[in-house]
Amino acid sequence: MSEPILQVNHLSKTFGKHEVLKDIDFSVNTGDVISIIGASGSGKSTLLRCINLLETPTSGEVIYHGTNIDKLKGGASAYRSHVGMVFQSFNLFNNMTALKNCIIGQTKVLGKSKAEAKKAALHYLGKVGMAPYINAKPSQLSGGQKQRVAIARALAMNPEVLLFDEPTSALDPQMVGEVLEVMRNLAGEGLTMIVVTHEMAFARDVSSRIVFMADGVICEEGTPTDIFENPKNEKTKEFLSRFLSR
Amino acid sequence: MNKLAELWSDIVTCWGESSSQYLTGALKTLELAVVATAIGCIIGLGCGIIQTIPCSKNDNIVKRIFLGIVKAIVRIYVEVFRGTPMIIQAIFIYYALPYFSNGAINLEVTFAAYLVVSINTGAYMAETVRGGIMSIDIGQTEGAKSIGMNHFKTMLYVILPQTIRNIIPQIGNNLIINVKDTSVMFVIGYAELFAAHKAIVGAKYIYFPSAVITLTIYLIMTVVFSLLLRLWEKKMDGPANFDVATTDTLAHTSGTYSFVKKSERRGR
Repeated sequence: MSEPILQVNHLSKTFGKHEVLKDIDFSVNTGDVISIIGASGSGKSTLLRCINLLETPTSGEVIYHGTNIDKLKGGASAYRSHVGMVFQSFNLFNNMTALKNCIIGQTKVLGKSKAEAKKAALHYLGKVGMAPYINAKPSQLSGGQKQRVAIARALAMNPEVLLFDEPTSALDPQMVGEVLEVMRNLAGEGLTMIVVTHEMAFARDVSSRIVFMADGVICEEGTPTDIFENPKNEKTKEFLSRFLSR
Repeated sequence: MNKLAELWSDIVTCWGESSSQYLTGALKTLELAVVATAIGCIIGLGCGIIQTIPCSKNDNIVKRIFLGIVKAIVRIYVEVFRGTPMIIQAIFIYYALPYFSNGAINLEVTFAAYLVVSINTGAYMAETVRGGIMSIDIGQTEGAKSIGMNHFKTMLYVILPQTIRNIIPQIGNNLIINVKDTSVMFVIGYAELFAAHKAIVGAKYIYFPSAVITLTIYLIMTVVFSLLLRLWEKKMDGPANFDVATTDTLAHTSGTYSFVKKSERRGR
């Protein structure tokens, strides 16, 4: 296997005295689709936010292509332009149209020309099925539409890895379907993804690897078959029993 | 009724004889209020941005000390100019230089007036801008950071456009306050509307009719500004409707995405 894109070593994060992440280790290779599952409060989102430096890890390191991300040229900003993120609350820029949302990063961060950026933006907006709505402001879109634009915005930066922080948790079942459909297609095209999710069916069917977290530690890690059909850890069994018995 | 008719005729006479004095004064008031509010906004924007620069314990010590000093200076500026009356500030600034130089250096009246009103407005705007920036959802910042924008770009393209939209009512407030409060600049001899009123009254001894005229001119100016600011707000909000693109958006990739003329798109 080739060198991992991302490697997390002994990562810990505490908020005051509250220890949210304890000594986390894991790595991401090209083409991986990793689903991080676990109960709310188990540290899944914090882990993702530490990977994208939206939270500063208390200790430990994140290695990107062999370099510690603290020591990367261009700092956190340059690093984030390679590692995209999709948020639970969409976080589209409210002062811009859907199209502008997908253009701004390309022109102002990657330094692409306007025409080039627009072409890419239209391509990705079309890909997520949002081509008809390019002139709409975020406030004029439904949740599912906003999330699809947010995915297009992240894709337009041509990231190496895309992080999804509970992308469907704020959506109704129909919108969940439309967003998962987009994510399924992306996984099928070989995009490297880390997905924090409560959508167990998605995790089982789409992921190449599942990470189960509880109380700030990785309890179990393995293929979907390992985790869903043959869980070894007691906590994993208990967590999944609720899902599987539904 | 007799008294009212008398007042009206006094007003007509007064206006007939001194209208140019009133209008010149009003124009000077307008110039001062508009220019000083604009400069004040720029000062306030600068100070507000400085106050919200994040500073974490991991930053290097030089940056932290430098930023701490700059932030302290901004705080002192805001507290001093927000906490003292503008009329005293005007006297203070106008007479300070001649006092220390034994009359050798004098500030020009107009310059002193613009300076005082600008920095006074700036002090208020600094807090307005700071509040405006803090009111923008943290998600907007995280969204911008997640596509690789640094603090400066995040501010410039994402946070400040939204902040400015939100603080327009407050900018309007300041402009209207300035239209009225520039009247205190008569203490240093700046010839705005109130100074014109005082001059006319001094020459003609018709206190009340002149006051009615002055008051009316002030009210007209402030109401007109109110309306203009509302228009600006609407313009910043953009169209209420958007058009669903029914043709293939990928077929033409430059300049064709605006499907309906702007004039037809305005939905309000």
